[in-house]
Amino acid sequence: MDDAVIKSYEKQAEGLVGSVAGMDDLRAKAIRDFAAAGFPAAKSEDWRYSDLKPLRAKAFAPANHAGEKPEIPAAFTESAARFVFVNGRFSESRSDMGDLWQAASVRPLANHFMANPDRAAELVRGRDGVGMLNTALAKDGMVIAIPAGVEIDDPVEIIHIMTNAADCAAHTRHIIELGEGASAHIIERFIGDDATYWTNGMLQARVAEGAKLTHTRLQEEGANALHTTKAYVNVGAGGQYHACTLSLGAKMGRFEAYVRLMSDEGVATIDGVALAGTGQSLDTLTHISHTMPHTTSDQIFRTVADSRGKTSFQGKVTVDKDAQKVEADQSFKALVFDRTAEANAKPELEIFADDVKCSHGATVGDLDAKAIFYLTSRGIDPVTARQMLVEAFAAAALERIEIEPLRDALMARVGAWMAARKDKPIPDNK
Amino acid sequence: MLKIKDLHVNVAGKEILKGVSLEINAGETHAIMGLNGAGKSTLANTIAGRDDYEVTSGSIEFMGKDMLEMEPHERVAAGLFLGFQYPVEIPGVSNLNFLRTALNSVRKQRGQDDMSAAEFMKLVREKAVLLGMDPDMLKRFVNVGFSGGEKKRNEMVQMAVLDPKLAVLDETDSGLDIDALKTVAEGINVQRREDTAVLLITHYQRLLDYVQPDRVHVMIDGRIVKSGGKELALELEEKGYADVA
Repeated sequence: MDDAVIKSYEKQAEGLVGSVAGMDDLRAKAIRDFAAAGFPAAKSEDWRYSDLKPLRAKAFAPANHAGEKPEIPAAFTESAARFVFVNGRFSESRSDMGDLWQAASVRPLANHFMANPDRAAELVRGRDGVGMLNTALAKDGMVIAIPAGVEIDDPVEIIHIMTNAADCAAHTRHIIELGEGASAHIIERFIGDDATYWTNGMLQARVAEGAKLTHTRLQEEGANALHTTKAYVNVGAGGQYHACTLSLGAKMGRFEAYVRLMSDEGVATIDGVALAGTGQSLDTLTHISHTMPHTTSDQIFRTVADSRGKTSFQGKVTVDKDAQKVEADQSFKALVFDRTAEANAKPELEIFADDVKCSHGATVGDLDAKAIFYLTSRGIDPVTARQMLVEAFAAAALERIEIEPLRDALMARVGAWMAARKDKPIPDNK
Repeated sequence: MLKIKDLHVNVAGKEILKGVSLEINAGETHAIMGLNGAGKSTLANTIAGRDDYEVTSGSIEFMGKDMLEMEPHERVAAGLFLGFQYPVEIPGVSNLNFLRTALNSVRKQRGQDDMSAAEFMKLVREKAVLLGMDPDMLKRFVNVGFSGGEKKRNEMVQMAVLDPKLAVLDETDSGLDIDALKTVAEGINVQRREDTAVLLITHYQRLLDYVQPDRVHVMIDGRIVKSGGKELALELEEKGYADVA
């Protein structure tokens, strides 16, 4: 990688000294690590499907946020609070604390470690260059701590908007903590304009005993954006983490979820839909670690790739030696519309315990011709028939969303994606 | 209503229909009988316009129009309904959603407005009950977890909702117990009016006891070799195909 790129990021990191209390040492180490490691190599297993050339080619400058007046999307449903980030910076004036502040502790990252700088050590470092850079350059994010026993019924929205940020990047870090028996639903949304910007986000969460964290992500970045995000979640005894991610935007969009089921009876479900249009590459990587017995995980992913679109799913599940009576399931299905569309599936199971139930299934194919004919034989035109089938296909991954208007909104986006393609000739896959 | 003239059809490069001619007028019920492999389903699928069925020569006229020029969904708008031998399962698409979209697609092609939700629900429930289907099954995904008989009953409910001019029913009676058979037969008989026609494709005579055809045709090796009245069906039952042909 270009030395100039490293130097540029080193300079940016230097400039951030003092910006977030308690993070200076961490930043310094992270930028040193980044300088040594660089971005993940094209050949590296985890990144083999993601093209990082644009990141290697030049450094992305810090995005400006002052003076930007973007439109804020409407909420899908009643929210407990809405936090808006413009070009990576928390915008208090555009956010709405709602009643959340009465029930929970909410702070921007910049203030969070002021009282306890030692707690900065809890920040996840980032195992690769992308994550290291987030640690080195993150200057803002949301820190939300829900006290034990508190159940926040309405979702909390964190909206990331990128505007007029060509060749710029936003590195955000969110920290979510749920006390024992607490529950919350976080909806992360990512939107942006057509500029070539880079969203580099990380969210880390701790779900204490008996707590439940629901995490919905809607990635609708601009057509030329680069989007790399990671979620690190630790789930305690009897805790639950339920995630659902819908990826629609970005030229290169990538979401990684690392979930550790740390204690008995923990549950994790990670579902998602990725719809890659022409020229888009959408990647998902999950790693669920079952470290303790009686833990359960389930993953349902559905992707669709249009002509010259690409999707990938790498789903790793590890079950430690003492993690008996674990149940881990994975179902990945990909649709490709023609021979130029690409879908990659890499399920990986590493099982060291001997009394477990693990299953995985991965299929790639096109729409069932028999199903299409069944629909057209009842008077439904082929374009509508295909849309119905793609919606049905994706719906399986959205079923676990409990909030109906949210699920409906995500389903509507799947329908709209297909409807936008209605004038394209239906490829003859023979 | 339906005029098939010297139809030749290839499937996967092999000629299956070797010159089929058939005329069905409004108000008539025809039955095509033949052993497996005779080409009966090929005929049904060709009438419906399925992709892999290549018409190499001949013509099909439906309601005065060239049917081969019409896409499958257009044939439905023109008044055709095909009851499948093996109805497909469609996970994720509910029977209700399917039927509503189908009905409104047909109405749209005919220049009509969508049916109101209330009217539609009334219509669908009515037809489901008429055909002995538990209306709760309408909420389920199309044919998913349905027994063979339930799938065939579902075909009949769809037919009743779409109210076609010509119903082509491919082995609709296979896999049905006697009660289901009677219900399906009733559904078909209700469908028979002065302005409609039915083409039953079957190789068992059983259904024809309940749905008495006006004409019976025997199909062997891609051709209609003999036609007659309903007694022909009984003759086939007694003597077998080889003898009758």
